[in-house]
Amino acid sequence: MKHVIVIGGGVAGMQCASELLRQNIAVTIVEKQQCIGGKIRNWHKLFPSFTPADEVLAAMQQKLTTHNNLTIRTGCEATCITPQKVTLSSGEELRCDATVIATGFTLFDATVKEEYGYGIYDNVITSAELEQMFNEKNVHLKQGGEPKRIAILHCVGSRDEKVCQRHCSKVCCVTGVKQAIELKKMFPTADVFNFYMDMRMFGPGYEEMYREAQTSHNIHFVRGRISEVSPTFNNRLQIKAEDTLTGRPLKMGVDMLVLLVGMKANAHNTTLAKDCNLTLQPSGFMQPKDSFLGNVASNVEGVFYAGAITAPKNIGESINEGTAAARGVVEWLEKR
Amino acid sequence: MINFGFSINRARTIDLDRNNLRKSNEIIGEMPELQACIGCGSCTASCTAGNLTEFNFRKVHTLVRRGEYQGAYEEMNKCMLCGKCRLVCPRGINTRGIVMLIKRKLGDF
Amino acid sequence: MTFFTKFCIPFIVGATVMFTVLAIKYIAWLRNLPKSDWRLIAKNFFSLRTVTALWEVVSESLLHRRIFKVNPALGYMHMSLAFGWFLLIAVGWAETVAYLGMRWVPLQGHVFFKYFAALNNISAHNPTFDFVMDLLLLFVLSGVGMAWLKRVRSRILGMRKTTKHVAFDRIALSALWFVFPMRFIAESVTAALYGGGGFLTSGMGAILNKIASNDVLHHIYEPAWWLYSLALGVFFVAMPFSRYMHIFTEIPLIFLRHYQLRPEAMEKSYDNFEVEACSRCGICIDPCQLQSQLGINDVQSVYFLRDRRYNMLQQKIANNCLMCGRCEQICPVGINLNTLRLNSRSSMRNIPHEGRYNYLRDIDKSSGEGKVGYFAGCMTLLTPNTMSSMHNIFQAAGEDVWWADRDGGVCCGRPLMLSGEMDSAQKMIDYNKALFTKHQIKSLVTSCPICLKVFREQYNINDIEVLHHSEYILRLIQQGRLKVGHTKDATFTYHDPCELGRGCGIYDEPRAVIKAVGELLEPAHTGKNAFCCGSSVANTAISDAQQLSIAVKVAAELEDTGAQTIVTACPLCKKAISRGAQRKVVDLSEIVAQSIK
Repeated sequence: MKHVIVIGGGVAGMQCASELLRQNIAVTIVEKQQCIGGKIRNWHKLFPSFTPADEVLAAMQQKLTTHNNLTIRTGCEATCITPQKVTLSSGEELRCDATVIATGFTLFDATVKEEYGYGIYDNVITSAELEQMFNEKNVHLKQGGEPKRIAILHCVGSRDEKVCQRHCSKVCCVTGVKQAIELKKMFPTADVFNFYMDMRMFGPGYEEMYREAQTSHNIHFVRGRISEVSPTFNNRLQIKAEDTLTGRPLKMGVDMLVLLVGMKANAHNTTLAKDCNLTLQPSGFMQPKDSFLGNVASNVEGVFYAGAITAPKNIGESINEGTAAARGVVEWLEKR
Repeated sequence: MINFGFSINRARTIDLDRNNLRKSNEIIGEMPELQACIGCGSCTASCTAGNLTEFNFRKVHTLVRRGEYQGAYEEMNKCMLCGKCRLVCPRGINTRGIVMLIKRKLGDF
Repeated sequence: MTFFTKFCIPFIVGATVMFTVLAIKYIAWLRNLPKSDWRLIAKNFFSLRTVTALWEVVSESLLHRRIFKVNPALGYMHMSLAFGWFLLIAVGWAETVAYLGMRWVPLQGHVFFKYFAALNNISAHNPTFDFVMDLLLLFVLSGVGMAWLKRVRSRILGMRKTTKHVAFDRIALSALWFVFPMRFIAESVTAALYGGGGFLTSGMGAILNKIASNDVLHHIYEPAWWLYSLALGVFFVAMPFSRYMHIFTEIPLIFLRHYQLRPEAMEKSYDNFEVEACSRCGICIDPCQLQSQLGINDVQSVYFLRDRRYNMLQQKIANNCLMCGRCEQICPVGINLNTLRLNSRSSMRNIPHEGRYNYLRDIDKSSGEGKVGYFAGCMTLLTPNTMSSMHNIFQAAGEDVWWADRDGGVCCGRPLMLSGEMDSAQKMIDYNKALFTKHQIKSLVTSCPICLKVFREQYNINDIEVLHHSEYILRLIQQGRLKVGHTKDATFTYHDPCELGRGCGIYDEPRAVIKAVGELLEPAHTGKNAFCCGSSVANTAISDAQQLSIAVKVAAELEDTGAQTIVTACPLCKKAISRGAQRKVVDLSEIVAQSIK
């Protein structure tokens, strides 16, 4: 029986593994965390349908648990990856016939954008933390109480040369709209303001959700990027932006500021590229073999990519790439 | 506002058929990065001078790029060159250089 | 006795042209000095300053002590040419006196003495003078040899880059290279034909006698002296228009500088002395990060001064400078490179209308009642960690603070100054001064070295003590008003901001503060030699990517120390370096605030 190692047990890795298992190929998933699932474990509901994230996760895990040919190695990282062999951080070497890298992305560290006050002021939180709060059904201010006015800032750590992140993280716009609606549902009397540079509603149902946010939920959209945040005497946050559509500076006090943190390439990618002869994009994400005909293939024969390892992607796209990578692996194994 | 005697108000339309883009092209030619502006407004929001008066760097340079030079020099002279805008610009535009360039190029407008 | 022959003409013409041009230039420059400068000269002329200036002329113009300190090989080269030539002239004069007694001898009689001695049948030779003169000639020739070598391979003399020269420089340089070899040949032929000469020329003369007949030697005798004279003449004519103008100009410059004359925000006549005293040695090129990191090769101080001198300065050259002061610090002539560049920028701009800052009126957004003012600075508003750390420090020390610009203030004026807009800067200065006076503060603390420098140098607020937050925090610790805990295994490295270190001379205070809370590891370039972060407000020419490239290099060197945390004391440096760094970059105040007991 052929044996394939999938590095990363997020949605892309899980999907890829289950497709390979279906083809009667033995799979080992190497996962850094203590359990598989990846980032989706921390999400609350998925855009644009508001499907609970744990439903999707549970369905995917269900497909994996019934298989005997699956080995899951949690709590370990892959340091060197070749089609025939994966070296783990422990020094252990795993033999295989092909590898799939599905290690995803890293969330941008919002403390780097110091002017937004994350880590300095209490009620500046990231979009990931807000998901956590949604999950715990406990969205509140640090000092207690409900937020009356919330600002959501788009493009934190995306499209920003000042933090060496040129690329668009793709999903933050729609996440911002989704979270705004959720917040509004939770606090119907609160004012929610989205501060954006461009609204990139690229997916099916996204634009409709955007429109719904505007008309059904009275969510405000201000075209302007917040430049700085400062504390006010009554422990609120004062934000400054330009309302570019009126051409005038805008300031307002808010109780809570949500930073839509972008997707950053894993720092690990650089060493991976160097040690395994894989090609890296200037953005730090891995370079697929071809953007049309080799989306899930790497420049090394027998090493495949799935999901956000090559670029920011949403969950649906990542799952699709899991399938595509499995297909690519099967084709490659047949060819040999 | 210049009164040519045949109009009460200066035309509101930015008439790209009439506007002379020579200076604008000169400016962009010297610093092509100005075209990278995505109009996020970070510069204006952080602006020390814009905090105190009606100076809007984004608007002025956008108008200049459209060939609307009237008043641009006077406006740019309100800038204090403090450099905050350069620190926040997500497109890495050398904003202070742009201010200096527009002041140099449009001194006679 | 005759002291004239035809080959003297090039030399005489050259010397006449040179001295005439020099006189015209110096007289014009001195005449145009502003009254205030003349008053300084009058005040300081009869004082010890004249004596110290005289000593500096010897140590710098002749011995080139400062170049020696930077680079001994280069120092020797310059010294052998300058001091060696000077001694050749001085000892040569003594030699004529020794031979002919105290009598008037025209200039060319001294210069071509060996020729005229033979011509006038002076056959008794003075072996001491022969020996000394040859020794000196060898000394100069060794310098010429090194100069040749430097042109071919600058690295041999410890320079990565050597100066690119203009046409006049090349003419003068070529002539200068030939002056001493030609003198050597002419004197050797003379020694071969008429005897005399020391070990060098008579030695060479003996060889010439062996390889060439007397007839041949007689044929090349006059041409050799002609060539020597021609080389001198060409050099003298080119000299006032070339870099060699520095030879004489450095002398009045040293005197004027000792009389406290300095370049200012606007160009003035004194600047000519500084500009033309540049020898284009090129020592300023290597420390320039625009050169070493970005490969920009036409903006360094040497080229700036050259372009300014020949009236071909372009704005993009004048603007492309970080004003980090690394070159000024190392300049062997001690030229005020930054101030000169600033006043060039000033004279190259459009004059703005007077009412441009009329909005600076009734806009006091300050808060607090304290007698200690805190001026965060524009950039610090983008590093709120510094703001909140200062807030905690003030609170821990029980200081009552007046916050000058927490909700937005008016720029200190330094960035405008750095763009050559002193008159605009003055409006900021006037506004802020009035604000400080209105709130009757006793001391002013700032977190921004850019503000600090202008507060100290341009504000004239003598009744208000201006402190950088590093000085202020150190004082609090020393007075026992702030108790900080020392963490043994916390390691820090420190980046000296240009405006704080080279700009204000503050090196020790931040280090003392760091040592109070943890261990300090110094990077390879530190203190006076510290790098610039690359984001200097003084530079409006380089791009974001270029700034980043410098920052990455600087950050890498700081990280090479192995320290866990990179500390700096300037919001701009912090922003810049954190872009290039993998490790945490913090302001000095942050590590203090975290260690408050």
